[in-house]
Amino acid sequence: MNTIDEVISTFEDLDNQLRLELLLDYAEKLPSLPEEYRNEEQIEAHLVHECQTPVSLWVTVFNSKVHIYADVPRESPTVRGFVALIIKVFNGVSPAEVARAPADFLHRTGLANTLGMIRLHGLSALYKRIKDETHRASLLNSVKQ
Amino acid sequence: MSQYKYPEVLVDTQWVADHKDDPNVRIVESDEDILLYSTGHIPNSINIDWQLDLQDQLKRDYVNRDRFEHLMSEKGITNNTKVVFYGDKSNWWACYAFWAFKLFGHENCLIMNGGRQKWIEEKRELVKDVPSFPTTEYTIQKINEEAIRSFRDDVIPHVENNKPLIDVRSPDEFTGKLLHMENYPQEGALRGGHIPGAKNVPWARAANDDGTFKSADELKEIYENEVGLNPNDDIIAYCRIGERSSHTWFVLTYLLGYGEVRNYDGSWTEWGNLVRAPIEKP
Repeated sequence: MNTIDEVISTFEDLDNQLRLELLLDYAEKLPSLPEEYRNEEQIEAHLVHECQTPVSLWVTVFNSKVHIYADVPRESPTVRGFVALIIKVFNGVSPAEVARAPADFLHRTGLANTLGMIRLHGLSALYKRIKDETHRASLLNSVKQ
Repeated sequence: MSQYKYPEVLVDTQWVADHKDDPNVRIVESDEDILLYSTGHIPNSINIDWQLDLQDQLKRDYVNRDRFEHLMSEKGITNNTKVVFYGDKSNWWACYAFWAFKLFGHENCLIMNGGRQKWIEEKRELVKDVPSFPTTEYTIQKINEEAIRSFRDDVIPHVENNKPLIDVRSPDEFTGKLLHMENYPQEGALRGGHIPGAKNVPWARAANDDGTFKSADELKEIYENEVGLNPNDDIIAYCRIGERSSHTWFVLTYLLGYGEVRNYDGSWTEWGNLVRAPIEKP
């Protein structure tokens, strides 16, 4: 389960309980923040205000590949799991692939129903922010080259 | 030093540790995050999700009578069970679940003071086992909506009669600034500001850093001396969707003992979208 299509098809086949369990597995697997990003968590450019949970995000593009790191508190396992899932599918792919990822990812996976309408707001915004940051990083990268 | 008006509605972590296996007690965790309970919870506690268990997912409302009775039956709660709520974020969601249980007229509701945070800080046991209990017969005795829930049609005359309203959102939401900041959540409202005449007291001012409620004296200082509320006032509290304001509703109703406090759960996501609703903006 590595590409976005595979993730969508895996999640959409699960019932609510199994979807939650899978998301919790991801929450436990969020890669830890590289040393060089520590102490940068509070820098404005990395804070994701779209989500009520204090999430910090780093998106870079190097050799046409996307690299995402994030810091999400352990007390917010749903957001942590969602971010870990997105990182898993977006890391190492091209910015064009991230741009092609469907905007309605939360609906296609069934997570929208599983998590409830109100939680959707923050997670959709977070997803969009990651896609926007990827686009920005890829533009920056092409300017540098 | 003054006391809370109804101190019996709060229990401490030690009480919960001592009573968690009492068959007449049901410990209920209610969190903002649907997965938090699964990462570890108080032994023998159950999870009730404020959205999926208590709210209707089709229309904007709470579940109906049948679904609440079914939920109680499934969770092994009888009409006489002492239900003790606790949760994350200074019991914000625990108070929301408490309020919803009161809507359905459940008599015996309590809050574990300090919530999840205090239990964890005291290094008490957390488990991942989900207990199950024999199903029960549960019959709602009385829907308590009129006394504790406010609808927009109640808020309009309330404003016209200059009765007190407490807006418990952050100062930036209250002033409407948040709607204009790039990348901020739009709150699902088309207009920013607050209901005319509302006083802004962010809900978390009623909580200490350890998640417990502030003392009666400190609460009186805020709500009576600073904001000018009177225990006999008819008060409506609101926020964005009615969850933060249930914390303030709990504080005013049980800790300060005000007799007429209602939670407007439509809150800003309704008012800020309502055609011709009056709005005040500094």
